[in-house]
Amino acid sequence: MSEPPIIRVQGLHKSFGKLEVLRGLDFEVSRGEVLAIIGPSGSGKSTLLRCLNFLEEYQAGEVLFNGQLVGYRRNGTGKLKLDSENNTRRIRARMGMVFQGFNLFPHKTVLENVMEGPLVVQRLSRHEAETRGRTLLARVGLIDKIGAYPAQLSGGQQQRAAIARALAMQPDAMLFDEPTSALDPELVGEVLEVMQALAAEGMTMVVVTHEMGFARQVADRVMVMDRGEIIELAPPAQVFGAPKSPRTAEFLRRVLH
Amino acid sequence: MDYIWQWNQIWDYRQVFVRGVQVTVILTCWALLIGMALGLLLGLMRSSRLLALRVPAAVYIDVFRATPILVQLVWIYYALPIISGVQMGNITSASVGIGLHSAAYIAEIFRAGIASIDRGQSDAAKSLGMGYGQAMRRIILPQAVRRMVPPFINEFATLMKLTTLGSVLAVNELLHEAENLINNTYRPLETYTAVAVVFGLLIYPFIWLSQRLEQRWKARG
Ligand SMILES: Nc1ncnc2c1ncn2[C@@H]1O[C@H](COP(=O)(O)OP(=O)(O)O)[C@@H](O)[C@H]1O
Ligand SMILES: [Mg+2]
Repeated sequence: MSEPPIIRVQGLHKSFGKLEVLRGLDFEVSRGEVLAIIGPSGSGKSTLLRCLNFLEEYQAGEVLFNGQLVGYRRNGTGKLKLDSENNTRRIRARMGMVFQGFNLFPHKTVLENVMEGPLVVQRLSRHEAETRGRTLLARVGLIDKIGAYPAQLSGGQQQRAAIARALAMQPDAMLFDEPTSALDPELVGEVLEVMQALAAEGMTMVVVTHEMGFARQVADRVMVMDRGEIIELAPPAQVFGAPKSPRTAEFLRRVLH
Repeated sequence: MDYIWQWNQIWDYRQVFVRGVQVTVILTCWALLIGMALGLLLGLMRSSRLLALRVPAAVYIDVFRATPILVQLVWIYYALPIISGVQMGNITSASVGIGLHSAAYIAEIFRAGIASIDRGQSDAAKSLGMGYGQAMRRIILPQAVRRMVPPFINEFATLMKLTTLGSVLAVNELLHEAENLINNTYRPLETYTAVAVVFGLLIYPFIWLSQRLEQRWKARG
């Protein structure tokens, strides 16, 4: 028997004012799966990711995480109401997020950045949080940068620290929004390596990326988005080898030259 | 014109200045406390997504910035008791009045400080599962405060100088004491100069500290 999906999205609609950015998305992510999301800029990839952990409110449809509705709850008559901040926070804490611009806390050292979630949200003791932080920073190759401030690190190091910070919450899934797009080309590899290792350990990952190599080699499935819609969702071999949609073929032709 | 400066009389009356400074410092401390607490609250309300919080804060800030503080002080001391039956003493009235006035400016400093922090910071804090209060306290405000130090020291200096308006409510702060002294000594130039020097000595250390802090934080990036 197959496990229920860890993320299930049904009929998801999202608008910014009059601008409809997501136009009815349906898909699932199963436990341990790596889903890559590709597509032209402005197609709604970041917005989709931000709806998954409710950094953005959505107007219609549902996002379910571990079977639980994200951001809303049903009242007596079955209508959706905004959920309490506490419930939303609890769900968010189960999903790690990595941003294009790293978004490390500049006033805290690398170790403090990684300890922040466990300390403040999970209320771990300082000792436990520090042990966890050191272990994770060793894993992403930053054990010698523990006391440094983010501004003293290279982009690649900052992004690895940001991944460690997200992992410190021991999430059930990780969301990546173009994690290597802000990096100098020679620093992309070290971040992708960390992500690849994470995938190999069985982490569930949703990765918005322009790295077609990563999508092809690491992802279990690739989702192609265009203008707020899913135009293709299939294993990489099919998306890259025999795309069904002419829009996919057109997009791939552009990014792969 | 040959004006003969006479400082020895001022020195003889130095106790008057000490008394004045004490009252000025007390006024400053209370007004600052009120201004900071209310200013933080108003600044947070002003930064809120909720209209019901944002609008009242904006109205307060605009009203207090658009009207003269002298009128606000007189109003609190003379008109408020008529309306509410609450008569505060003159030092309390002056502290509250200057505090309420400064709160409007301090609120704007907080609002601008919070707005200057990249949205990615609160996104990152939220994505870890932090609540609004935790994110504000641990992530946003500590960064915002650093950017707020220069305008805040500026406002602090303004506030301390505004305490001289306490004299209109017969508060014996530094300027009021000095004016009494002038009535005895007929040495207005020396006295006012001494007042300026005392204010300078009170305020300058904070300006110096602010510059040092800025340099230190800049070095760390
Ligand atoms: N906070 C926002 N307010 C208004 N419009 C937004 C906002 N965020 C994104 N958009 C718009 O939504 C569309 C999709 O953006 P985004 O999800 O960032 O696309 P992608 O990540 O695929 O490049 C774009 O047209 C963008 O301008
Ligand atoms: Mg994007």
